[in-house]
Amino acid sequence: MARIWLDNAFWETPKKEILNAISEEEVDNRQIRQVHKLDKLNEDGTENELFQEVIEYLGMDKIDASSKKRLEKKQAEAELEKQKKLERERAKKLEQLFEYKLETFEIPEIKESKNRLLKSKLRRSKSIPEVNLYAMMIVKDALEDDNTK
Amino acid sequence: MTTPSKGFVIVASRNQNFYVYAVNLIESIKDWYPEAQICLVTEERFIDERADEADQIIFCTDHYRAKLWGMSQSPYDVTMYVDADMDCEHEDIAKVWDELGDRDLVFHELTPERGKYYAIREFKYNNRMEQFTLCGGVCLYNSANPLVREFMEEWFELFNKQHNNMWQPEGFDHEQFHKDLKHFDQTTLWYMTEKMEKYKDLKVGIFHDDIRWNYFTQYAYEGLHSIEGKPPILRHYSGSLQKDKLIV
Repeated sequence: MARIWLDNAFWETPKKEILNAISEEEVDNRQIRQVHKLDKLNEDGTENELFQEVIEYLGMDKIDASSKKRLEKKQAEAELEKQKKLERERAKKLEQLFEYKLETFEIPEIKESKNRLLKSKLRRSKSIPEVNLYAMMIVKDALEDDNTK
Repeated sequence: MTTPSKGFVIVASRNQNFYVYAVNLIESIKDWYPEAQICLVTEERFIDERADEADQIIFCTDHYRAKLWGMSQSPYDVTMYVDADMDCEHEDIAKVWDELGDRDLVFHELTPERGKYYAIREFKYNNRMEQFTLCGGVCLYNSANPLVREFMEEWFELFNKQHNNMWQPEGFDHEQFHKDLKHFDQTTLWYMTEKMEKYKDLKVGIFHDDIRWNYFTQYAYEGLHSIEGKPPILRHYSGSLQKDKLIV
């Protein structure tokens, strides 16, 4: 069987000087599949025959198309990974914020406060500074209550 | 015909932190649903002024799974059990009762994609691989149905026996049962819902868009979201809280 090239070959660089391609051929009744990373030129500056073979076999358009497809897939994967990382960071922050709120609710003036509105605001706070703000308001409210008694 | 009573059951035992989580959960439910009836099942030693937020209080022991006992003690006709280490974040909490429909028990589902956040999902039974599919972090149940009551009582009793090496149903792999399964009430739940003749007529289901009713914070690590794109109703902090460390 003559050597064939799979049509998922792609350019490794924008200048199209390195080509990544997979060949298949039968050698001694065994099917051999091989991944190649091919430079356009050999070390001595002459043309790399294998590189040319792939271009002739698949054609530039096909390689350009699969390179574009691969790049888009990689970009989508990177974007998804970035989103996942952001989600993980957000979730971690939320977990820390929840622990911080529980700790804040253990402050005696807050623990004993019957000001449901402010306590609810504290519970719904989206950040530590916001928690601190409502915590201060609850403590102030408790102190004012004490003063009026 | 009288309207069935509806309320939440929250259990906090053994560890003071769970009482703190439970109080927060009660208040957070009432933030969004002021008319909610809530029964706190806890140990007498934990009680302080914050317990006033609960509408009913039932005292329990420091049993490892007082949760199951508490579920069987619900004072309501329709009950929503919620793990104490959760936080209510959405007004849809008031719509929880609509989820029951004609079913007896409604759970959150342990799907393959959520499986990595649970201690165990797959196990051997009669030399076949089986899977836990129900997660007991939340459970909506028809507590007016005597068979459901019996189910809850037996869940607690059988779990006790299972945990104390007094009960291992045939079919489980003995070694795996003792190493991985006997510590979980989920094992008992699976056996009762899947294998016990007595409970075969109970209608067991899953919440619609169930992720919203038991949103483990770790779900966000993998970008798992509501099928309808809606925010969580109950967020579960089970995997992130340092339960044995003093909060203050």
